[in-house]
Amino acid sequence: MTARRAGLAALALGLIATALLHGHMGSPPVYDGIAVPPEPYRWESPPPNLAAGNKPPLPGDATLPIQNGQVAGGGVQTGDNQVVMYFGPGAFKAPAGATGVKCTIAPDPNPPAPPAGVEIRGNVYRIGCMGEPGGGLVTLASNYHVTLRFPPGAFKEIYYKDGSVWRPLPTLTAPGGDPYASVNAPGFGEYAATAATGAQGPSVFSDLGRYLEFFGILAFVILFGAIAIVQEIRRRRHRAPAPAKRRR
Amino acid sequence: MILGAALLRTLLLPAGDLLSTMVFAACLFGITWFERPVAANESRWGRGRSLVAGLMVGAVLLAPVVSGSFSTRPLSAFVPWAAIAALVATLEETSIRGVLYRRLAGEAGTVAAIVGGAAAFALIHLPRYGLGAMPLDAAVGLALGGLRALTGRVLPCAVAHTLADWGAWFWA
Repeated sequence: MTARRAGLAALALGLIATALLHGHMGSPPVYDGIAVPPEPYRWESPPPNLAAGNKPPLPGDATLPIQNGQVAGGGVQTGDNQVVMYFGPGAFKAPAGATGVKCTIAPDPNPPAPPAGVEIRGNVYRIGCMGEPGGGLVTLASNYHVTLRFPPGAFKEIYYKDGSVWRPLPTLTAPGGDPYASVNAPGFGEYAATAATGAQGPSVFSDLGRYLEFFGILAFVILFGAIAIVQEIRRRRHRAPAPAKRRR
Repeated sequence: MILGAALLRTLLLPAGDLLSTMVFAACLFGITWFERPVAANESRWGRGRSLVAGLMVGAVLLAPVVSGSFSTRPLSAFVPWAAIAALVATLEETSIRGVLYRRLAGEAGTVAAIVGGAAAFALIHLPRYGLGAMPLDAAVGLALGGLRALTGRVLPCAVAHTLADWGAWFWA
């Protein structure tokens, strides 16, 4: 088999296999550069300067089966991945007669006012679960896990409102400046990312540091790439045979 | 050495995505540079024809993704991100479809070079995407290896790979 025929066969086989396997994954997992930045935050009520390009936040829901009297473990996330909740088997207690539990996460269009001295950063999300059929009350046997995305700017902690008062929860933020924070959620109700009123976001210097790191390394790569190209051109010139001299 | 570069990148991930990516790229650049061919002795397609072939294969790789919802990532931030994506994709191709392909083709033939390259390609993506992605990466590696053998050039492979990567910005 010649190299070209082998190449054509491999190309066809590879593309057919890729098309068949694509169904299992969103895109070819061949990307190896730096992380793709997240899409802009989706605001329920955007600040005036962000209103133009804003897309509304998306809700999410999932129905979980009841197995041997226990609600199966699982997860629910909003369609825009701004909120994710997950829980282990038996974390929720379903009402009698229920065959499943439906959990929903929805952005609240009319959120309650934040407590004094605290500013809500981003959307307030209402998280709840109910038994199916019938819509009976689901209670908690243990905490579950909630991760919230927060918009650029100041962030301190996640607050939870169980229907009466807001209270802060011990919050973990994602490393590397990723805009996500997680809590062990003690109940169903409203959850919001917050900061102290008037708090400033990351300083100009920390932003500048990130830009310097990014563009500095990019400049480094371009510089060395250019040097490599120049060296290669010189090498080729050096290797090229000298034109024959005329004899007189 | 290529697999070692991928392993080093994984080990350096806790130090930051950007740093580990740049060390990985520098390793691939070193492999490409020190193992560059003295002279090309295989028949090759012209640059223009190879470029078109690369664009077509890249479009085929992207086709299943473009039916998804379009992302709202700002186009202004695309350029520096895309430059790094193109650089890393090109260096992966010059290492695998360039250096490794030449070595394997010289020692064991074209089929071994294509298959060996596809295996290396799937393995270097293993730390980032896990075992579940390996069949698809091996298939993409097979297609890119085929493109290399068909055209006699690394350029179309780099173009197709870069296009597939850029899709992550718009549709992932």
